Amino acid sequence: MSDDEIRKKEKMTTAQSNNFRPGAMLPNASISRKLREFYDAVQEEGIPDRFLELLERLEEAEKNAKSVKAK
Amino acid sequence: MSTTYRDVDRAFKRDLLASLPNLRAFAVSLTGRHDKADDLVQDTIMKAWANQGSFTAGTNMRAWLFTILRNEFYSQMRKRGREVQDSDGLFSERFSVHPEQYGRLDLQDFRKALDTLPDDQREAIILVGAAGFAYEEAASICGCAVGTIKSRVSRARTRLQELLGVSGEGDFGPDPGDAAITARAFGS
Repeated sequence: MSDDEIRKKEKMTTAQSNNFRPGAMLPNASISRKLREFYDAVQEEGIPDRFLELLERLEEAEKNAKSVKAK
Repeated sequence: MSTTYRDVDRAFKRDLLASLPNLRAFAVSLTGRHDKADDLVQDTIMKAWANQGSFTAGTNMRAWLFTILRNEFYSQMRKRGREVQDSDGLFSERFSVHPEQYGRLDLQDFRKALDTLPDDQREAIILVGAAGFAYEEAASICGCAVGTIKSRVSRARTRLQELLGVSGEGDFGPDPGDAAITARAFGS
C-alpha cells in the first residue's frame, strides 16, 4: 500500500468518525430532553384532590384511633 | 398523645405529599394510563401509610415509595395477567384525555415509543433519566445489580433512538407499501 493510499484511508476514517459523532450525540440528547418533557408534563399536573382527601381521611382515622386508645 | 409522635406523623405526611407528583409520573410511565396510574398511586399511599413503621425517618422516602409502587404494579400485573395492557385504552387515553399536555405531536410519538419498550428497560430509563435517581438507587428500587440497570438504560436509549429515528421521516407520507399500491393504481 502506498503512502498516498494510507493517507486516503486515514482521511476517510476520520471523515466517517466526524460525521458519526454529531449524529450520535444529537438523538441521545433529544431523547433525554423528551423523556423529561414527558415526565415533567405529568408532574406539573400537581396532586389530584382524591389523594389530598385520602390523606386527610387516613390522618383523621389515625387521630381517632389514638384518642380512643388514650381514653 | 406525645408531641414528638405527632411531629413524626406530620413529617411523614409532608414528605409523602412532596413525593406524590414524581411518584404519579412514574405510575403513568409504568401503566401508560392516567386512570390506572392514579389507582396505583392510591394503593401505594394506603400501603405506605399502613407501613409507616417500616420507614426509617431521615432515609430516602422517595425511593421507599417508588419501591412500594413498583412492587404493587408488578403484583397487580401478575394477578390480572396482561389484560391490564389493553392497547385500545392506551391509544384513546393518549389522544383524548390530556391532549393539551402533549401539545406537540412528537411528544405523543415519544410516549408511544416509550410504551413499546420492555417493562424492565422502560422503568430503568425513567428512573434514571427522568425521576432523578442515581443508578445505585434505581438498582435498589428494582432489586437488581447496578450493572443491570446501566445496561437496561443503554438498551432503552438505543431502542428509542431507533424507533424515533425511523419515525422521524415520512410521518405524514404514505409508507412504502402504500406508495407501491398507489404507483400500481395510477401508474402507466
